[in-house]
Amino acid sequence: MTADTPVLRLADVSRRYSATAPAVLDGLDFALAPGEYVAIMGESGVGKSTLLNIMAGLDRPDTGRIEVDGRDLAGLDDDALTVLRRTHLGFVFQAFHVLPYLTVRDNVALPLDLASRPGAEREARVVEMLEAVGLAGRAGSYPRELSGGETQRVAIARALVHRPRLLLADEPTGNLDPRTATHILALLRGQVHAQGASGVLITHSLAAAQTADRILVLEGGRLSPYAARA
Amino acid sequence: MKVGGAARGLAALAGAALAWLVAAVAPADEVRGRHVAYPAVVPGHLLEFPRDFGAHPDFRTEWWYATGWLESAEGETLGFQVTFFRTRPDVPQDNPSGFAARQLIIAHAALSDPARGRLWHEQRIARASHGLAGAAEGDTDVWLDRWRLRRDGGRYLARVAGEQLSFELALEPTQPPMLNGDAGFSRKGREPGSASYYYSLPHLAVTGEVARDGRRVAVTGEAWLDQEWSTALLDREATGWDWIGINLDDGGALMAFRLRDASGGSHWAAGSWRRPDGTLVTFGPDEVEFIPGRRWRSPRTGIEFPVEWRVRAGALDLELLPLMDDQESDSRYTTGAVYWEGAVRARSADREVGRGYLELTGYGEPLRLPGSSPP
Amino acid sequence: MSATGTVLRAVALARLREQPLRLLATVAAISLGVALATAVFLINAGALNEFGLAARKLVGEADLIVRGSRAGFDESVFVELAGQPGVREASPALELEVAPLGETSALRVLAIDPFRAAWVQPELVAGLAPRLLDLLEPDTIVLSAAAARELGLGAGDRLELRAGTSEYVLKVLDVMPEAAYPQRLGVMDIATAQAAFGRLGLVNRVDLRLEPGADRERLRERLAELLPDGVSAQTPDVERNRAAEVTRAYRVNLNMLAMVALLTGAFLVFSTQALAVLRRRTSLGLMRALGATRGQVELALTAEGAALGAAGAITGVLLGQLIASVALAKLGGDLGGGYFEASSLAAKPQPGILAAFFLIGTAVAALGAWAPARDAARVEPARALKAGDAERAMDRVRPAWPGLLLFGAGAVAAWLPPVGGLPLFGYASVALLLLGGLLLVPAFAARVLALLPRPRKVALGTAVAQLKGSAGLAGVSLAAIIVSFSLMVAMAIMVYSFRESFEHWLNEVLPADVHLRVGSASDTANWSSGDQAIIAATEGVARVRFQRQQPVLFDPARPPVALLAREVGEDGEGLPLVRGADARLPDGAAQAWISEAMVDLHGLEVGETFDLPLAGKTWRMAVAGVWRDYGHTAGAIVVDRAWYIAATGDAAASEGAIWLAPGADVETVIARIRSRFERGETLQVASGSAVKEISMQIFDRAFAVTYLLEAVAVAIGLAGVAFAFSSQALARRAEFGMLRHVGMLRRQVIAMLAGEGAMLGALGVAYGLALGGVLSLVLVYVINRQSFNWSIDLAVPWLQLGALAALLVSAAAVTAMASGRAATSDSAVRAVREDW
Repeated sequence: MTADTPVLRLADVSRRYSATAPAVLDGLDFALAPGEYVAIMGESGVGKSTLLNIMAGLDRPDTGRIEVDGRDLAGLDDDALTVLRRTHLGFVFQAFHVLPYLTVRDNVALPLDLASRPGAEREARVVEMLEAVGLAGRAGSYPRELSGGETQRVAIARALVHRPRLLLADEPTGNLDPRTATHILALLRGQVHAQGASGVLITHSLAAAQTADRILVLEGGRLSPYAARA
Repeated sequence: MKVGGAARGLAALAGAALAWLVAAVAPADEVRGRHVAYPAVVPGHLLEFPRDFGAHPDFRTEWWYATGWLESAEGETLGFQVTFFRTRPDVPQDNPSGFAARQLIIAHAALSDPARGRLWHEQRIARASHGLAGAAEGDTDVWLDRWRLRRDGGRYLARVAGEQLSFELALEPTQPPMLNGDAGFSRKGREPGSASYYYSLPHLAVTGEVARDGRRVAVTGEAWLDQEWSTALLDREATGWDWIGINLDDGGALMAFRLRDASGGSHWAAGSWRRPDGTLVTFGPDEVEFIPGRRWRSPRTGIEFPVEWRVRAGALDLELLPLMDDQESDSRYTTGAVYWEGAVRARSADREVGRGYLELTGYGEPLRLPGSSPP
Repeated sequence: MSATGTVLRAVALARLREQPLRLLATVAAISLGVALATAVFLINAGALNEFGLAARKLVGEADLIVRGSRAGFDESVFVELAGQPGVREASPALELEVAPLGETSALRVLAIDPFRAAWVQPELVAGLAPRLLDLLEPDTIVLSAAAARELGLGAGDRLELRAGTSEYVLKVLDVMPEAAYPQRLGVMDIATAQAAFGRLGLVNRVDLRLEPGADRERLRERLAELLPDGVSAQTPDVERNRAAEVTRAYRVNLNMLAMVALLTGAFLVFSTQALAVLRRRTSLGLMRALGATRGQVELALTAEGAALGAAGAITGVLLGQLIASVALAKLGGDLGGGYFEASSLAAKPQPGILAAFFLIGTAVAALGAWAPARDAARVEPARALKAGDAERAMDRVRPAWPGLLLFGAGAVAAWLPPVGGLPLFGYASVALLLLGGLLLVPAFAARVLALLPRPRKVALGTAVAQLKGSAGLAGVSLAAIIVSFSLMVAMAIMVYSFRESFEHWLNEVLPADVHLRVGSASDTANWSSGDQAIIAATEGVARVRFQRQQPVLFDPARPPVALLAREVGEDGEGLPLVRGADARLPDGAAQAWISEAMVDLHGLEVGETFDLPLAGKTWRMAVAGVWRDYGHTAGAIVVDRAWYIAATGDAAASEGAIWLAPGADVETVIARIRSRFERGETLQVASGSAVKEISMQIFDRAFAVTYLLEAVAVAIGLAGVAFAFSSQALARRAEFGMLRHVGMLRRQVIAMLAGEGAMLGALGVAYGLALGGVLSLVLVYVINRQSFNWSIDLAVPWLQLGALAALLVSAAAVTAMASGRAATSDSAVRAVREDW
């Protein structure tokens, strides 16, 4: 694995759900360089979720090849894929999805706990991430005491606490008001770059997409660069 | 083959004939049941009174049977019947138990109430044990719990204490006993054993009280008392009998009966007529004729009884009309029989000549008395 | 469509479409609870009805019934009664128990004068007609339909009986129609019976019919002066009650089981409904936000509950009727307890009872839905739409004081005495303790969970965190399983205690190598002194202890008490004494040892004296001790045999205990004894161990139904747990999805669920054990004592309970895992990112 190896590579990936409907993904190619922050746009129902599932190893394509950090996903079983996710990937969801019965601290530490990282190191890292997202004083709070924006910050902290190579964010600001959304997008971008990770931002909002380095559009089963319309 | 068969048949016939001959000729002074040897009723037995007013416990069946017409203080006309039966069941006689049923006492009481259109009827049965029921020898005294018929100083006292019906009557004889049949030996059929000892006491003067549903009323009237005892009474062919006991207005009395067979015709008949002067005429089977008239059908049992009759006995020719039609008694519980026992008026040449009772048995089911045919 | 209807459609019927299977399971659970309660009630009612009917036939139209001891009184008493002013009819009778050869149970025989009996028991005598006159034939008997069936006899057959040790033969004259008398009975003429069974000059019962308008009470008093000792006149109610008392204890058992069934079912319904409402909080909040009023939401949910209840209740009552019919047909009205034979018992559908249970089941389900419905309708819609709010909903259940109050009330109720011989306060105590215990569960859960340390391993750790964070929810999930498990524990302890006590007791009362009985417990069969000498002289017999047993009418208002004349050691040695070993007794009174039932029922105690009517005289006795007796529910009195023989001259015996000489073989000696008697093969002889074994088998069989019902209760409880878990699992789908995204292995998620299940199960089991233990104290010391009037020593079947607890915990874990399985599938994981 060299420094040039793409963090994520999809080659000629196709996926269709029924024989009659058109293929959701049709011979799609995509490569994500290390440190790159890309936004993928598209209309609802076009297949963004499918694409994300395949990237995360949660779905297998009909044809094509997927590599994460040079590793072919095809040969990995469910457990291996899970471990891969644990070490290489971080997720931020639209619906936040933090565990209501864990404290902020414990929520953030989840990926570390799953990887069985030793205690002291875990503590330090969690504190670091909380500071990074601006929730240093709320470590002991429960999610129901937080606002929507704060909750999403916890999610971001959790997504990056284990230093993944790739962060996948699915409509992270869909449930937030415009002001908070702006802050969150900035935070996301900032933290991805700060850790030297790559990021994929799925969104249908142009304004959100513009916080990324590169914008792609999913259309007709393939990705193409975004062309601004006059 | 043929010869052998004939010989066998002949032998069988001879055997049967011999048996019959023996049975007919051999003196039968007792009749053997399974456990008890009952004395047979034989001619030539002298009836003695007051001894024979009492019970004859060795004989199988016995009854004291009083019937009569009453007038109440309120002017109602009523008919009454009181009967005490004694029967000696065919059971082992050696049971030491105090409850051993060597004698059974049965009592019936009935009141014909034409104003109400109904017959009041009560029946009881008990074993003669512990002095609670019994029939004494020596004079008339038969009782069942609180019911009693006894002769006291020449008078009969009858007490009936039923649920709805009760009597307290005194019956005073005005004539000596009338011995029926041959000095009291009354044949009832062709077989020599079918007979009873039988006397009647007509023209008894009655006083007393009758209570229906608790309502008491004083009564007076005239009655007829029969006492009869026997061991085997009915021939095999006899299905029942018709009997009358009429107190004639002229002071005489007529008793007549006939046995019927399965076809409804006469099987045997007899009668006694006491003339007003006291002399007795006895009628044989050819001299008594019972001719049924109008029939009445019981709504309860469905049995048809002829309730109007023409009875001819010797020179007498009487028409009988009932006080009321429904005088049926269902005594299946105590005697197994349904019978019609009712007050009747006797008319001759369109004129009332006497009053008495008519008894009809064996309509419906043929009457079956214990030991009614020789074993 | 009305607003309520809209809510109903949106919220309730959606449930039907989405999870038809789960809904079906809820209905099935309600159905089961109702079915059990209905079945038990029907069986009970059938039993009572049977007894009432039998008693009525025998009582007939009697106004007063004069009774003495079984042995009888002089028949001159009957004659005197018949002549009493005010008495219209008097019917004498001899009631006997005879021993048909080859049968283990005695046959009840009523010897009457049918002509007199017709005035008092017309229905019975009508069943004898038209054979009344034939009954006068010697050695004849008429059997009831039930007796004919059981003995396999018909008209014209011979019935062989035992009287003493000789055989006697009766001819069966006829079989009565079914309707004439429902139980086993033989009817004979009294003259025949007196002669046959050596009762010349004796009757033991006279039924009286009084003149209309006669003063019954006045007459009864007058008769009391006339009648000899030990003979008294009672009204027929006493007769009927006496018959019912015999089975009272058994029916108490049934009532307990019915209570278990109903309670468990009720709590299951409540918890299911509560969780279902909780789960739909969001949708409900949405409905409220859209404009449905509180009342409409409440009504819709309650109606849903009632509908479910109705569906479950209707299948439940039908199922219950079926169960009752089958149980009665297969096992008899006493469910194998041997109290009586069910002939026409049954299965007659009783619409009234079915309708009642239908209403109860529906009402309980509606109630179970109403409480959470009210709560759900109250919450502000915005709050309900927020995640994590479900927990807030359970905050209200936290306060502990209502639970403590009820618990306390239950404890107090346990000390109260019986009412009418029934432990009503005992039942109330159980119900209160249970309810109070249930209300304390959330508080308990919260405290325990707060104390729980958080383990390192992430799966377990997350599980613990989940539990800590949702203690209130845990309480509701646990409700059903705690109810059923604690009741099961309570019953298991009670039955085990009983069994242990019974076994110990058997060892004390059956200490010998060989035990023998002359036949069934009948009046007519016993051994003479000669017979006893024969037995004692048999080779191999070292020592024999004979006993004479007979019923004594101690209190005319109660069933007869058993009098046992046997060898008693110094200070009551040889008897399983409970107290009084060295009591000081008043002079001039003979010693008697009474069973515990005598203490409870007749108020006697050690040192007190009482009068014993025996053999026509009255004897002054002093209570020398109280012993434990499981053999006679109405009470038993033990007197020294030597004294008894001196007092009554009756040296007969009906039971014997044999100790063998050293080296003697049990079977050989038994065979020798049998050979000494005519018809010896019908003697009931068995080794001590064999008798004990059979007795224990009978015991187990009698409780078989209890075990079955316990198992069903536990199953229902588990169903409750399953529901709880699956409801939550679905709600936590999103969480599971997220965890899978974040990298939790599938098996880790499942392990987490298993851990939650196991911990919750353990919590429920521990609490259930404790609560069950408390309940068992009430069962053993209050309910059992007051129902049966005997004591049991508490014994806890640790092994059994431990195994059951382990089973339940694993079952809970498995259930949790199974319910979470669907939630951890890949499609579910993907769905986490769909917009809800």
